[in-house]
Amino acid sequence: MGSDEAYNFVFKVVLIGESGVGKSNLLSRFTKNEFSHDSRTTIGVEFSTRTVQLNSFTIKAQIWDTAGLERYRAITSAYYRGAVGALLVYDITKHLTYESVERWLKELYEHAKPNIVVMLVGNKTDLESERSVPTEEARDFAEKKGLLFLETSALASTNVEAAFNNVLEEIHKRVGSTEGVRSSISAVSLSSSRGENAEEQKPCCRNL
Amino acid sequence: KRSWGTEQGESSPAASCFPCTLLLLASVPLFCLSASIVSLHEDNVTTLSATFVSYLNSAEEVPIQVLREREAKWLEMLNSWDKWMAKKHKKVKERCQKGIPPSLRGRAWLFLTGGKVRREQNQGKFLELDNQPGDPKWVDIIERDLHRQFPFHEMFAARGGHGQQDLFRVLKAYTLHRPEEGYCQAQAPIAAVLLMHMPAEDAFWVLVQICEKYLPGYYSTGLEAIQLDGEILYALLRRVSPVAHRHLKKHKLEPILYMTEWFMCAFSRTLPWASVLRVWDMFLCEGVKILFRVGLVLLKCTLGSQEKLKACQGLYETMELLRAIQPQYIQESFLVHEVIELVVSEKDIEKEHNAQLRRWKESHGDLHCKSPPRMHGAKAIMAADPPSRQDLRQRPTIIVESPLAPKTDGVSADNGKQSRMTQEGKQRETILPPQETVYNPYLPSSDPSPLLEHMTVKVSKESLSSAEHDTYL
Repeated sequence: MGSDEAYNFVFKVVLIGESGVGKSNLLSRFTKNEFSHDSRTTIGVEFSTRTVQLNSFTIKAQIWDTAGLERYRAITSAYYRGAVGALLVYDITKHLTYESVERWLKELYEHAKPNIVVMLVGNKTDLESERSVPTEEARDFAEKKGLLFLETSALASTNVEAAFNNVLEEIHKRVGSTEGVRSSISAVSLSSSRGENAEEQKPCCRNL
Repeated sequence: KRSWGTEQGESSPAASCFPCTLLLLASVPLFCLSASIVSLHEDNVTTLSATFVSYLNSAEEVPIQVLREREAKWLEMLNSWDKWMAKKHKKVKERCQKGIPPSLRGRAWLFLTGGKVRREQNQGKFLELDNQPGDPKWVDIIERDLHRQFPFHEMFAARGGHGQQDLFRVLKAYTLHRPEEGYCQAQAPIAAVLLMHMPAEDAFWVLVQICEKYLPGYYSTGLEAIQLDGEILYALLRRVSPVAHRHLKKHKLEPILYMTEWFMCAFSRTLPWASVLRVWDMFLCEGVKILFRVGLVLLKCTLGSQEKLKACQGLYETMELLRAIQPQYIQESFLVHEVIELVVSEKDIEKEHNAQLRRWKESHGDLHCKSPPRMHGAKAIMAADPPSRQDLRQRPTIIVESPLAPKTDGVSADNGKQSRMTQEGKQRETILPPQETVYNPYLPSSDPSPLLEHMTVKVSKESLSSAEHDTYL
């Protein structure tokens, strides 16, 4: 996958939101360019990576996905640990999934870093005819809460790249400006032979 | 024909692999594989062909003669179940370890779990629950999950098909049976595995037993039981594989990050199908210690030596490795052997359970969800609630009257297989080679077995939704 590639940074991003909104498909669309109507329910933790180019840097995005069902929130603290970004996903055709966004935000800030980059994602724009969450309403809410915002379709592959890339860019910006955030990122020096004694986490090597 | 890939007809690697995989599977003699075979390892589509190859290699080939002998032994056991469990339980355990013959697996599971007794003592109950509409909150969530369980299995592939319908019925009934617990997503794969082997009502009672006796608290709010078991697993690992234990400790890889799906789904989403069935045969006989042993074996095999650890430098790499375990470690015979040999007993688990519970209370306070203590297997379940002979009496729903069968007492088994076997034995020379006279419900019905001509079949009145496609014979 991406484990043999060289990279400057590793950013851990988590996908959160109600069951069935499309988190797993957003993950598979972004990291494998795959989508399935029958992707199985997530139990426990799923994850995947993709390496992207951001300006002159190589970023390895480590995306984590977990079950959306209420009772799984009991086991999420390990899931959030070290996350620098989050995509809070709702389904634009199911208003209930949008209504629980506040609760998810609360949970997120309870477990994750306070300056974690969050994007509100309205998924399933391919089902425009069944929309029940107006774009403007969600966008206003996101602005008020200081969240990024995009509407996507994992099925049609709309805005998925943009969503993840925007989050990664924003994380990178914060990395540059905040010492605190930087220490939580496991940065590995640019080296093609990863298999060798890379037990310690070496400081980031930046191209200046 | 199967919808794979997007609406736009985008093709993925799997789209080309899948049809030929099915063809290859069809050519493998069915008596070598369980009746629930077509469930493939779904997650990573690009390794589909590699998985398929390992899948074929991973199923043990049991010679048909041995299989027939085992079937006869199991039929005998099931006919006097209480005696066998009371006096010859060790033998029952051994036979479960060897693998239950596919034709009797469903029934054996029903008896082992005490589901049979529950069903007999609650006649009409499932129907009652089935007829209720259910809490809309749970119904909505369950409906969303129906097409997401073993979607590549022919039984569950069709949206709104009888497999998905029965899955709905079983899960909904459970939320009515235990409204304070409701529905937990991990129950769906468990119910699906059961439905591959038995009708909805039976699957319901076995699910009840698993949720109440084998894995109490696993599916309740708070998921405390699974978290505790994660800590127990980690603690037991210290003795079983100090190298693996140290590695997990060093990288702060918490148990909940790798064992949740393993334990909550009893490995049904982790292992090749043949291995899943063998694990379940042992799990339903001996209890949760089997799940612990499987977990420990997987951890030991994957992370148990410095050599193996070279491949995982960090938390993430370790998780990746645990997610894609090498085929040789999960292959049926290897895994079963390792599980049987691993010395981890109920006592070990209970002892660690108490230690971890104490630790938990120190940091989290009292448990929110107080579940009853778990029962470690079939014998314990039976001892706690001794059934009457009446409860264990087999009540076949399909009675096959064969003019050639000499014995009458206890021979009309649930699916009439035994009388067919007797017939087959007599007709071996006159008709066809044995393989073709074995009734195979998966063959197209346009070519009925010659034996059927001699039989009068009384249609089952139970499991009405599966009346047209009865796959439980």
